[in-house]
Amino acid sequence: MAFLIRRLAFYVVAIFVAITFNFIMPRLMPGDPVDALFAAAGGRMPIETLEAYKEMLGFTDGPLWVQYLQYLKSMVTMDLGPAIMLFPVPVTEVLGNTLPWTVGLAGLATLASVSLGCFIGLYASYNRGGFVDRFVPFFWQFVASMPQAVTALFVFFIFALTLKWFPLGFGANPDLDPGFNWPYIKSILHHAVLPMVTLLVSMLATWIFTMRNAMVNVLGEDYITMAKAKGLESRRIMTHYAARNAILPVVTAVSMALGFAVAGQVFIETVYNYPGVGQLIIKSVGARDYPLMQACFLLIVLCVLIANFIADMLYVWLDPRLRG
Amino acid sequence: MKTLKRYAAGLIRFYRGNPAGIIGSSIVALILVACLAAPVLTDKDPNKRVARGHQPPSAELVFGSTRAGKDIYTQVLYGGRVSLMVAFSAAAVTTVIALAVGVSSGYFGGRIDETLMAVTNVMLVFPQLPLLIILAAFLGQVGPLVIAMILGLTSWPWGARVMRSQTLALRKKEFITAAEVMGESRWRIIVVEIIPNLISLVAGMFVGTSLYAIGAQAGLEFLGLGDPTVVSWGTMLYWAQSSAAFLVGAWWDFVVPGTVIALVGGGLALINISIDQVSNPKLRTGRYLKIWRRMKAETEAKRREA
Repeated sequence: MAFLIRRLAFYVVAIFVAITFNFIMPRLMPGDPVDALFAAAGGRMPIETLEAYKEMLGFTDGPLWVQYLQYLKSMVTMDLGPAIMLFPVPVTEVLGNTLPWTVGLAGLATLASVSLGCFIGLYASYNRGGFVDRFVPFFWQFVASMPQAVTALFVFFIFALTLKWFPLGFGANPDLDPGFNWPYIKSILHHAVLPMVTLLVSMLATWIFTMRNAMVNVLGEDYITMAKAKGLESRRIMTHYAARNAILPVVTAVSMALGFAVAGQVFIETVYNYPGVGQLIIKSVGARDYPLMQACFLLIVLCVLIANFIADMLYVWLDPRLRG
Repeated sequence: MKTLKRYAAGLIRFYRGNPAGIIGSSIVALILVACLAAPVLTDKDPNKRVARGHQPPSAELVFGSTRAGKDIYTQVLYGGRVSLMVAFSAAAVTTVIALAVGVSSGYFGGRIDETLMAVTNVMLVFPQLPLLIILAAFLGQVGPLVIAMILGLTSWPWGARVMRSQTLALRKKEFITAAEVMGESRWRIIVVEIIPNLISLVAGMFVGTSLYAIGAQAGLEFLGLGDPTVVSWGTMLYWAQSSAAFLVGAWWDFVVPGTVIALVGGGLALINISIDQVSNPKLRTGRYLKIWRRMKAETEAKRREA
């Protein structure tokens, strides 16, 4: 319990650092950022809203610490005002619309890459020095070393543009009625295939290596030798003795990877025009909507921290030594 | 001189019977040399219009032309100079910071360790890419030098942790204690005794960060956060995307820079894997077991001679 509380305190500090970073950045910029925002809104924003906006962001008269407290208050109460880019839709609503797409995609891709990667890693360590062990991890490492932007472009070019197997973008067919019905869900899945494959390609190598290396470590343990000496079947030793223990580092790494998948989807969502947080952050940069951009950043940080905390809890659950 | 010779010998031993290392290094070296020799390999100007827009690859234009009619072959060569320069300088900055933070944290311990690790851990939980995007967005369309600095100053935390744990392990070794007892200064111990023993980690980190920086730079520029007037592999992708090269069927416009980036990335990854495999005996498979055994036998033979 003490461990979890310590971790929690650490994450709270991290959030404060992120908020403080968001507070400082616009103040280091030359010129008045709020006036720049007003210009970016292109006359769609009434002057009263501008005043409220200034107050929310802490651009009030008064010393810096008062401004900071003001800013903290609006962050903690989630009073983020309207998105300038999509005036007058509130920022929280814009974020709420994009988050499920990103988290869903990251979740599915992580799940798929972990299962496939662990399987390949297990197979490789089972046949140590065999074909799969010697070449497959190398091959995937080579493929995964392509920057995500490049992988996304190539996959898009081959499967969406040339072969026309998959749609050219968006999260689902816009002509369909959104809701819990089969045609819509099918459309979502169909649109998610290519972004998922891209994420899968860039994540798979990690899992193959994590699983294989964990297995190699575990296979050197005495209790494996003992099991062999007892004359147990090698397949049984692999699955029941070794894999069970080797999976521990993988399980804890999974939730962290989930957080980073959310953070890493920027390129993929941009290339596939996928309606997630990653695309939103780029769009808001293009529209010079700095508060929206910073809200996206904070949301991504929050996702990563939550994923980290889940990893910590899993760790405690799996490793009895931490449960003092 | 003697240490230089020893490193050279170590390098030769590393490459012998190590195909992944040789292939990876050759790819990277070949592309690097080609970029450096750009004025010899092409007589065109990367910024000048030399043909009609979106001409397919031909004998005249080996890799075709961009929408603006610039020669892609020339752009790839000159762009590589910028991209590789950014990658290697970002990697150098990162490695130096990671080494400084990790070693001082591990060797001095106490309050220095606590403070440095607190900063490192907080930096580590921040997702890198969104952080880069925010920084680049606030700084306005950033040039290559600024990108290199941003990448260099934000990617060190993981390396610092690795260096720290290795330093902690080294610190308990007898030769460090011996040096301390002999009254050598702390800085001398760090520079002469500890850092040379971290050299494989340093090499691995430099290669790994270069790999990351190549991708991150290309990505940032592809997203339009870089300075689009500079010719680099990332801005080539950006122009290909913004001139809708895809939709008009001008595949060469992004396939060429994309492939070069992928090749450099793959080459660096191969070097990194082979460093890993040689310096971490547990992970070895097949052929690498042999290299390791031979290196071990040679060192032991030398020790016996001495």
